[in-house]
Amino acid sequence: MNEIRRPARWLYGTLIALVLLFVYLPMMTLVMASFSRSKFFKFPIPQFATNWYADVFASLSIRSFFWTSLVIALLVATIATVLAFFGALAFARYRWAGRKLYQKILLLPILFPQAVLGLALLLWFSAIGVTPSWQAAVFAHLVWIAPITTLVIAIQVYAFDPAMEEAAVDLGATRWQTLKEVTLPILTPGIVSGFLSAFLLSWANFPLSMFSTGADQTIPEWISAKIQSGYTPQVPAVGTLTMLAAVIVMALGGFAAWLHARRRAGLA
Amino acid sequence: MVTTEAAAQPILQLRAIEKVFDQFAAVDRITLDIQEGEFFTIVGPSGSGKTTMVRMLVGMDKPTRGDILLRGRRINDVPANRRPTCMVFQSLALFPHRTVGQNIEFPLKIRGVDPALRKKRALELLAQLRLPDHYYNKAVTQCSGGERQRVALARALAFDPEILFFDEPLSALDYKLRKVLEKELKDIHRQTGKTFVYITHSLEEAMVMSDRIGVMNRGRFVQVGTPNEIYGSPTTRFVSEFMGEVNILDVTVGPDGTATDDVTGARYLVPASAGAGPCSLVIRPESLRFVAGPGQAQNVVTGTVYNEYLLGSRVQYQIRVGEKQVLLLENLRDQRYEGDLDSPVTAGWDTGDSMIFPKGLLQ
Repeated sequence: MNEIRRPARWLYGTLIALVLLFVYLPMMTLVMASFSRSKFFKFPIPQFATNWYADVFASLSIRSFFWTSLVIALLVATIATVLAFFGALAFARYRWAGRKLYQKILLLPILFPQAVLGLALLLWFSAIGVTPSWQAAVFAHLVWIAPITTLVIAIQVYAFDPAMEEAAVDLGATRWQTLKEVTLPILTPGIVSGFLSAFLLSWANFPLSMFSTGADQTIPEWISAKIQSGYTPQVPAVGTLTMLAAVIVMALGGFAAWLHARRRAGLA
Repeated sequence: MVTTEAAAQPILQLRAIEKVFDQFAAVDRITLDIQEGEFFTIVGPSGSGKTTMVRMLVGMDKPTRGDILLRGRRINDVPANRRPTCMVFQSLALFPHRTVGQNIEFPLKIRGVDPALRKKRALELLAQLRLPDHYYNKAVTQCSGGERQRVALARALAFDPEILFFDEPLSALDYKLRKVLEKELKDIHRQTGKTFVYITHSLEEAMVMSDRIGVMNRGRFVQVGTPNEIYGSPTTRFVSEFMGEVNILDVTVGPDGTATDDVTGARYLVPASAGAGPCSLVIRPESLRFVAGPGQAQNVVTGTVYNEYLLGSRVQYQIRVGEKQVLLLENLRDQRYEGDLDSPVTAGWDTGDSMIFPKGLLQ
């Protein structure tokens, strides 16, 4: 009954192909631009080369931006996950006075334009005498990312039967044992996806970094700066590598989820 | 003499326990003794306070007032993880990230029991609950409803509790499986000799398994007794209705002890227990029978057969008396009514098979 009729199937196929094209064609252009020998972007590309990648890998400054981005993203993801884990339990599990208000206030920063949020943070930093730096950027990212991570983990918490914790306690487990043996393992998929999304959001973030990193620079900031002055195909090369990194992180996450599902199905 | 007293001491004693939520007493001053090795079932409709009660007994909630004594020791303030009791939850609360074996071993792992011993015990329990050995490595998420039920029971037995509580664990299962598991549970009770305290909303389920039943309503026990007492001599209309379908006639008992039907004006002989005044006369469908005419039963009514319902080994008839009264009559299948629908019939019952409860009494 649910089968799509033939002409409709054709239409669906075309539509899906168009959407994919629409989403991925620009990225393909980026990838192609990074392999162009010419310093300027021309289409079609007259001559392909990989020299810009060699330049990227040889560049000490790009390497330092990469490390800055990575360290910020890892710290943000770790701190956001820890905060979000307990936040999500408060958010989705326990009933307490003010819970509804907490849920709304927590989610509000997600909806603020990031540039405004970044500006607010910059003003706040200067008010309390904090010099913008990559450490300040970690804080700035957290303001926006921790609520999102909380939401991601809360979805898993909602699906968690609180009777399982009660059963663990009833069978003699202490609070700590219950957390370690029951709550954490059952929430692991949510925690992992929370961590990954936090990492990727921080890794790719430009507006908050722009206002908060000060003298330190992240990859997205470098890309933006280079586009305004001094474009070379190093920029699309770095862009391609950044995308690739995100894809790898996603793939690792997918692989972890697959392993987890397999273990749960008792095949391992 | 001290020894005999100790031996006779109930394993669990409730002393006027009360649980109040916002001035509403979910459990209202209940006093009860549960004996060692007993299968005690608490039956009640939803909202009767039975779940609140069991949560206090296992230590997940504290009574507002009153005392809970385990072998004479007050345990009100002992948290659930320090009590030698455990519960099979309504949702079973199996751990989905663990295998059947790991679920069963959970309480042993918590206690730091050696892995080899744990596995040995888990395999024993699998055998006891008639689950195959290879289920040890099976994911609980892959088990059927009945298997999950057995895993939950095995996990609770691995804890080796002094009292095992059950919070309606069978309610989500289909009828047939429920019937099988009720009997299995009673067999396990016999095998282990442990004290079982079981909660259900089904008196029928309670009848099958229990040594004693406490019928609960509005936070109190309406009647506590053996299944036979509950079935044979319910003390209130509420209990008599709770067992299943019954005929309830509104009657008025006169000073001579006979009752007048408020609807049809017919006169019945009723058990002497009721005083004069408005009463409910309760007659089980199986106590009603077709009779050839007056004189063949102590009380008779005449009406017509409106419909017939086959219930497997038994058969029920809906009898309409006049326009307003409907009675159910139940026979064994081999005693089927041979006449046509809508033809006049006489049905009757003996006074001793009916029950009478004064109205206005707390149900």
